[in-house]
Amino acid sequence: MLRLSNLSKYFGGVRAVDALELNVKTGEIFGLIGPNGSGKSTTVNLVCGIFGPTSGSIELDGVDLKRQAPHQRIDAGVSRTFQNIRLFDDLTVWQNLWVAWRDAPGQEHSWFSNWFGRSLSRRHEIQKLLEFSGLGDKSNNLAGNLAFGEQRRLELARAMASKPKLILLDEPAAGMSSAEVTDLRQRILTMKEMGITVLLIEHVMELVMNVSDRIGVLNFGTLIAEGLPEEIQNNPLVQKAYFGSSENTSGGDTNAIDQ
Amino acid sequence: MSVYVASILTNMALISFLALSAYLVLVVGVVSFGQQAFFGVGAYVTATVTSIYGGHAVTGVFIGMLSGAACALVLAILTVRLSGLYFAISTLCFAELCRLGLLQVRAPFDIDGRTTGPDGPEGFSNIRWIFEHNYSVQDFLVLTTVCLVALLGLLFLLERSRIMLRARLVGQDSILAQSLGLRPILYRIVFVTLSGGVAGFGGGLFALFNTYIEPNMFGVMLGVHGLAYAVIGGLGAPIGPLIGVAIDIGLLESIRAISAYRMIAFGGLVALLLILLPQGLISPRFVARMRRWRKLFHV
Ligand SMILES: Nc1ncnc2c1ncn2[C@@H]1O[C@H](COP(=O)(O)OP(=O)(O)O)[C@@H](O)[C@H]1O
Ligand SMILES: [Mg+2]
Repeated sequence: MLRLSNLSKYFGGVRAVDALELNVKTGEIFGLIGPNGSGKSTTVNLVCGIFGPTSGSIELDGVDLKRQAPHQRIDAGVSRTFQNIRLFDDLTVWQNLWVAWRDAPGQEHSWFSNWFGRSLSRRHEIQKLLEFSGLGDKSNNLAGNLAFGEQRRLELARAMASKPKLILLDEPAAGMSSAEVTDLRQRILTMKEMGITVLLIEHVMELVMNVSDRIGVLNFGTLIAEGLPEEIQNNPLVQKAYFGSSENTSGGDTNAIDQ
Repeated sequence: MSVYVASILTNMALISFLALSAYLVLVVGVVSFGQQAFFGVGAYVTATVTSIYGGHAVTGVFIGMLSGAACALVLAILTVRLSGLYFAISTLCFAELCRLGLLQVRAPFDIDGRTTGPDGPEGFSNIRWIFEHNYSVQDFLVLTTVCLVALLGLLFLLERSRIMLRARLVGQDSILAQSLGLRPILYRIVFVTLSGGVAGFGGGLFALFNTYIEPNMFGVMLGVHGLAYAVIGGLGAPIGPLIGVAIDIGLLESIRAISAYRMIAFGGLVALLLILLPQGLISPRFVARMRRWRKLFHV
């Protein structure tokens, strides 16, 4: 589905992403881990077109994304969340989804509904997504007034509002309590059941080890290991780079929050 | 109503068009110091259509509006690659170019024994449409107010649309907007063009009302005032810029005691308001709160 070949991004002398090779298969949950500053967020920004790569290629289902503008990549079915929550604080929860909403093919709405958003069927669909995100009773709240966990869920819902094939989650569990992480895990699994491919960037091991089909480890912008969760957990190279050779690789104590 | 009061009110309504045009640009997250150019172009085109070609005022103002929009479209396309600060500087340069250009246009006409038409620094005199059709100052006030209310009505519909929500999103966080599949540049082009149309429309009415215009009326200070009205009024709703106008012209002009120091008083007021309310009086947050209260009480 998503294939990054020899992808690099330099910021001046900083090699944020350096000759990265990554292959995410359709329908899987691919976990991407790595220490702070290893280039995970930069990778997301490269795939979404916020940054242009210094070199290399980005392919989605065999189509080269490199020449496409960000909006064309969304059309192609890419969607994302942000490491630092980015919502439209002065809009209601409902409106936050409405601005991002895209009709599923064959379900397009009239110009009136596009303009005012008043059609019942669209209201119904957005409400359904809100229920799925556990925000069903908050649709009229201002996004800026939500609790932290709710804002995270709203970001997730918004990422789904554009009907993506591939969703990039940039540290969705950062700062969450362990009950919230369990809830998030369920949601990510549901996305997979819906046929969405997930690239999960995460620091919280408890989540990433339990939910991913495969995991890649990034260090200094390159992939230093790739494999099943158990393999990654027991890979000495990974432990050295990522955990400072600590033996304890499970549990939420590596829940670092950067920025 | 006395002619004096009616003409102050008319001037307030006319400058409101400029303030609203500045508002439309601010909404998409850029600042323009050049809206006066579109106002001036609208004024010159309307004057030309009505006084030289004998066109109807409606035709004149309509073409004035289209000319303002066309100029703005050109500016928006020329500046697509520029980020905020450079965009602001280039709008200022563009407006000054327009003004200096108009200073060079000398094409006086003699119509019915009166000199009219653009005549460089001498200006464009004898724009007589409202005299010839026996409009009083009060009539013109009514006409301008009707136009302004109609514009507010259109903006109200726009304000309820997803296009406007998305434009505001582009203005607040263009990275997020891009990640949702929006094209910030497209929104900027559309809204700058709309703003040019609004300013051109107001300029057309201004030419008819003033009967005399000259390029130096459309200098930087005019644009700065329009911008200041939009900024202190706030970007939450189109009523914001009108409140800005009311504060400056309505309040400061009418208090005779301070009218000599009006520029100082206005500058001080803008500074004070921006310290107290950086988002302006009618900020997006304020509007959101009002909407929410209304929803809660089912009004
Ligand atoms: N916009 C930017 N400009 C300059 N340097 C950047 C920028 N974004 C990221 N970097 C640098 O690139 C490296 C990788 O950052 P990032 O991708 O955010 O890491 P991660 O998400 O893995 O913590 C860091 O050294 C960071 O300082
Ligand atoms: Mg990051």
